Amino acid sequence: MNYYIRRVVSAIFTLFVIATLTFFMMRAIPGGPFTRERSLPAEIEAALQAQYNLDAPLLEQYAEYMIDLVQFDLGPSFSLKGFTVNQIIAAGFPITALIGFIAVILIVLIGIPIGIISALKQNKPIDYAVMIFATLGVTIPSFIIATLFLYFFGVKLAWVPLLFNEDNFVTYIGPVLALTGYSVSFVARLTRSSMLEVLQQDYIRTARANGISEFKVLSKHALKNALIPVVTYIGPMVAAIMTGSFVVENVFAIPGIGKRFVEGVTNRDYTLIVGVTVFYAAFYIIMVLIVDILYSFIDPRIKLGKRRAD
Amino acid sequence: MDKQIFTILGTDEKISSEQIRPGLTYWKDAWRRLKKNKLAMVGLVVIVLVTLFAIIGPWLTPYSYSDQVVGFSNIPPRFELIDADGTYFYFNGSQYDLYSSTKDGRLLEKLDESSRDIVNQKFYFDLDGETVTLDYSYKLRPELADEGIDYSISFRGVEYKEPMGTVGNKLFPWGSDEFGRDVLTRVMYGARISLLIALIAALVNLFIGVIYGSLSGLYGGTVDNIMMRILDVIDSIPLLLYVILIMVLLDDNSMFTVILTLGLVYWVRMARLVRGQVLGLKNQEFVLAARSLGVSQNKIILKHLIPNALGPIIVSITMMIPSAIFTEAFLSFIGLGASAPQSSWGTLANAAVAVFRSSFYQLVFPASAIAVTILAFNFFGDGLRSALDPKLRKG
Repeated sequence: MNYYIRRVVSAIFTLFVIATLTFFMMRAIPGGPFTRERSLPAEIEAALQAQYNLDAPLLEQYAEYMIDLVQFDLGPSFSLKGFTVNQIIAAGFPITALIGFIAVILIVLIGIPIGIISALKQNKPIDYAVMIFATLGVTIPSFIIATLFLYFFGVKLAWVPLLFNEDNFVTYIGPVLALTGYSVSFVARLTRSSMLEVLQQDYIRTARANGISEFKVLSKHALKNALIPVVTYIGPMVAAIMTGSFVVENVFAIPGIGKRFVEGVTNRDYTLIVGVTVFYAAFYIIMVLIVDILYSFIDPRIKLGKRRAD
Repeated sequence: MDKQIFTILGTDEKISSEQIRPGLTYWKDAWRRLKKNKLAMVGLVVIVLVTLFAIIGPWLTPYSYSDQVVGFSNIPPRFELIDADGTYFYFNGSQYDLYSSTKDGRLLEKLDESSRDIVNQKFYFDLDGETVTLDYSYKLRPELADEGIDYSISFRGVEYKEPMGTVGNKLFPWGSDEFGRDVLTRVMYGARISLLIALIAALVNLFIGVIYGSLSGLYGGTVDNIMMRILDVIDSIPLLLYVILIMVLLDDNSMFTVILTLGLVYWVRMARLVRGQVLGLKNQEFVLAARSLGVSQNKIILKHLIPNALGPIIVSITMMIPSAIFTEAFLSFIGLGASAPQSSWGTLANAAVAVFRSSFYQLVFPASAIAVTILAFNFFGDGLRSALDPKLRKG
């Protein structure tokens, strides 16, 4: 039990650090609500005044900021008049989450099996083929996969429409492919190497010597331990997919959070940038927390204070 | 002295006392095994070539990364030339520009458009007082569809339909971008930025990461616990938040932000690795011996602990470098890294995405540069890992 409390407390502490950092960040924003030379439209400035209670002492402002943040109130957008950052995130998140979810499912369903096959056929042609693709997959950035896909399948062959359309399933292929490229390769490599390591263990030899069928040895004895490092990767994988969405949504013109974020960067919409980043950071920390807790069920050694090997 | 009293004993004994093979040190042995690994050597050669490309390349091109050649925008690396009886023309279909050229593909000038006939898709250009007519109506008129061409050029009363073939662009070997800048030169400067990032990532890892990790491991106990908790916090905040934080604080959106961010947070993994190594090493006899001789803490770290952990440290650095290059390209791509007119591989790819339908080559060069460099570092790092890891040693 102690372990779970420790993990939750450290996650809350990290969120607190992030929130504090962003508070000072908002104060330092050039042209923002806290600087003297203001060049903001009157409506936004009024909204900022209301949001940050600018005349109050620093500590009170900080407390109010924290209370707002706990209530998921991220303030008005600098560049989109009349919109709050919350509204922008709420509008973009469903589509980002849907594409991300499809990507995660595919990564697990494709990455793990090909990793296992590759390990079982070590040094055979199929293993080499998998490893070549996996190596290419982790070296080619997602924005390149995305653009190459659009060029060859959208422009040259004209098999898929160039513009993303929520209701047209074909247009999901490109974004999902670009998002999965890196993680599928990584999961396949990870599964392969951890499977190879597990297969050399004594208990596998014992299981075989006991005459247990090869299928059962692999599925019941080997796989269970081989997948432990793969489960650990799922937390960071969510992060990889999130950051991937910044790029992929921009290339495919998907109206998700990632696209809004990049537009925010171009427009210097600091409240939006900070809001989206805090949102993603919180999402990431909670994902890692969930994975860590699940992980302790799979591998009970973790609870006994043995730290995860990085 | 009388030489007579000395006699030669013969050389046999000396030979027998010599070693047959010179002893191999750890590093010589690793190098020997690394040399056998073909992929790793290919990686090493590519890294050296990219470094030369970055350092020497920009001296050899006539342009700087921000030089704009007015009128010569979006010209591909290879193009079709029309031979109008000794005068050569190149038509850039992506923006309706007509150029006169030499036979081998050196563009001479962009011709001024004197008038146009929109209805019939005819464009009239002026070449030293003579009129060149560009007929762009072949795709519009169904009766001409059989010709299978997009355009024809009429000069001195003759219509030329067949291009003489494609030639390489002599002015811009890798083409020019939308502002008439040389793509080759810009990719070279991009290589400089990427390698600078690589160098900084390596240095930060080597200094901050190694020192932090070894101090934490050596002191142990509460100090170690606090130092590791600090790392946990640094580690759990996404890199993007740091970049934005620094960008906002400095009100500066340039390479400097990315470099500073990498410098501030990119050593965490290395610190963990070195701490683990030091924890394993610090209880060994040679450290005890050094301690009992009164060697100072600093010297124990620098002369005893770090040299023994150097193998994993070097492997880790070669693995961090591609990830740093990757990160820089990603940040520049979403607009948080290098800003115009600086050219990093990420910004080049970002700019190319906007025009990739007509000028695909602008994406191909920076994209391949990123992929090839990261691949080379990965191959080299993998090879180095198996060469330096004693567990993988064979005979």
